Amino acid sequence: MEKSTLFLLILLGSTIAYMRTTWRARTLAETSGRKLHSLPGFYGYYTALWCALPGLLLLLLWLLGEGSLLTAGALARLPESFLDGAAPEKIQLLVNDIKSIAQGSFEGQIDPAIQMAADRFSELTQWSRILLTVLSITASLSGLLFAQTRINPDFRARNHVETVVRVVLIGCALTAIFTTVGIVLSVLIESLRFFNMVPITDFLFGLKWSPQIAMRADQAGSSGAFGVIPLLLGTLLISTVALVVAVPIGLLSAIYLSEYATPNFRAIAKPLIEILAGIPTVVYGFFAALVVAPFLRNMGAEIGLEISSESALAAGLVMGIMIIPFVSSLSDDFINAVPQSLRDGAYALGATQSETIRQVVIPAALPGIVGGILLAASRAIGETMIVVMAAGLSANLTLNPLAAVTTVTTQIVTLLVGDQEFDSPKTLAAFALGLILFILTLCLNILALRIVRKYREQYE
Amino acid sequence: MTKLENSTMERPFHREHRSTVGTFTSDNPRIVCRSVDVYYGEKHAVQNINIDVGRHQVIALIGPSGCGKSTFLRCLNRMNDTIPDCRVTGDISMDGIAINGPEVDVVPLRAQVGMVFQKPNPFPKSIFENVAYGPRIHGLASNPSDLEEIVENSLRRAGLWDEVKDRLPQPGTGLSGGQQQRLCIARTIAVNPEVILMDEPCSALDPIATAKIEQLIDELRALYTIVIVTHSMQQAARVSQRTAFFHLGHLIEVGETAQVFTNPQHQLTEEYITGRFG
Repeated sequence: MEKSTLFLLILLGSTIAYMRTTWRARTLAETSGRKLHSLPGFYGYYTALWCALPGLLLLLLWLLGEGSLLTAGALARLPESFLDGAAPEKIQLLVNDIKSIAQGSFEGQIDPAIQMAADRFSELTQWSRILLTVLSITASLSGLLFAQTRINPDFRARNHVETVVRVVLIGCALTAIFTTVGIVLSVLIESLRFFNMVPITDFLFGLKWSPQIAMRADQAGSSGAFGVIPLLLGTLLISTVALVVAVPIGLLSAIYLSEYATPNFRAIAKPLIEILAGIPTVVYGFFAALVVAPFLRNMGAEIGLEISSESALAAGLVMGIMIIPFVSSLSDDFINAVPQSLRDGAYALGATQSETIRQVVIPAALPGIVGGILLAASRAIGETMIVVMAAGLSANLTLNPLAAVTTVTTQIVTLLVGDQEFDSPKTLAAFALGLILFILTLCLNILALRIVRKYREQYE
Repeated sequence: MTKLENSTMERPFHREHRSTVGTFTSDNPRIVCRSVDVYYGEKHAVQNINIDVGRHQVIALIGPSGCGKSTFLRCLNRMNDTIPDCRVTGDISMDGIAINGPEVDVVPLRAQVGMVFQKPNPFPKSIFENVAYGPRIHGLASNPSDLEEIVENSLRRAGLWDEVKDRLPQPGTGLSGGQQQRLCIARTIAVNPEVILMDEPCSALDPIATAKIEQLIDELRALYTIVIVTHSMQQAARVSQRTAFFHLGHLIEVGETAQVFTNPQHQLTEEYITGRFG
């Protein structure tokens, strides 16, 4: 039986087990006249779980282990000469051949030895399938029978079911955690490989970024330069421009919306501002590259300023517009969270509305607002698409927002686009850049959350 | 039932009688209110209030929850302006000057009529800055040493100086509840008001802090006119010279505190102060 059919069969079986046992528990309560420990449904769930879990576990085990066992069995049939001293890639090719012959999709001359191995592979696959079917159905049935024997009014089915539910919940939480840990570890390990080729001090403190690796050893410029400083500087420059745009506009619009605007205007304006966050970044990207950048360059030419056609200013401006909703939405929430009693206190002293906002409301909401700004900043630092399209690729070491700069994210994209050797420093550099970016945004987020939490404690 | 019938016999005004009894006028009034009505949207929250607030007197507003006493209090410094949909009509004047018209500037009015709230609401600033805030926005101090003097005097009058004089730069929110409330009183008197409105100033405080505030109110009477809303009849009896009893938006009875508590004219007043409802 196919694995998918088996899977559906087990699920079907456990559904039937659920309904049957629920009904049985109910009749048991009626006939014996005793009160069940748990609701009838829990006895049903208990049996259904005992029916489904053993079979599904076996299925999972098969999925994980079957492939390698089968190929090992098939390779054992090959003459020694095929495997002696063969590189791992070579063996992988061989295995692929064997699999396609077994499926009948191989075209071309077939070596009789390989044909033999392929036959063995098909044979083993057959056996494996039969074994799995028999085993998993047996496991499910015996689970079912075992659970059935335990159904009696004193049995604490609810407690058992809830234990399983808790295990499932823990499993889900752990999946998220382990995925994060896995990603971090893989980035870390690849970065360490990179630091074996390029010294970590060169990477962290180098002032030149030029990740060209020569195809041949004697080519000009054969050694790349992997100094991350120009990229960090470019990232910070663009993020700063973005924040200079987003913080005043976002904060002031939040103040207007929360303190001055009529409820009707607010109900319309707030969702409209939040739409800005929903525009795909690639749209912002070509808007920056095709509209804002040429506009800025022409403007600059008019007043005698030389603005590069791919400038930090253009990318930063557009990115600033993108993060306005982050600043305004969060600030708005925190301004609204300032208790009315504080405003009343200021009004009762004869403060005007603007005095109250400037001197009481904003200072009270400030930690939250700063938290919001930091979250927006980490968003700006990690933003990729706009800068790829609008900021350029030249890693200039400059603080001039009119020049072309490049960012960490842009360089990661360019390093990985196209055909690359996976173990060259050029490719591995992307992991090191990713690590830097991760650490940077992580620090910002932790800082922001800390500030926001401190603020919450103050008023709740 | 017999008791109720008896009391109806004793009292000249039975429960349904809803116009004010007692003496609502004062010989030396600071605030005069005539036919004051307050509406929240369609709701007629406070109806036809006539009352005088005497100079250097404490007048207590009592009554069950939702009777309109806080709403009426907030008319006296125009705090109802901050509530959308809220409309106040009628004549309210202070020292002969109308304060309820749209042409009245609320900023100087609120400097003259200070307010202390139910829950202590110090600003998230230092103790010093909390008290200095009012004088700053009204430009009452010409130089830093003036300001320090105002802050010290206000804290002294609020009976808080000795407790906080060594920690003026620390946040006001770090004080205890009773201290915070006295800080709010200090903040209010720092702008040198003539009238202080207090909206259940002790309801969030423990008995010891309450006793301190009550003592303070008694001392402040010499300098200010005080209107206090309270849920505690004992408090009204202890601190006030006159008492006004509100019920469902009506001012039922007003008079000398001793008289209202020992010999109420209206049946509702009698029922409320004897704890039969409320």
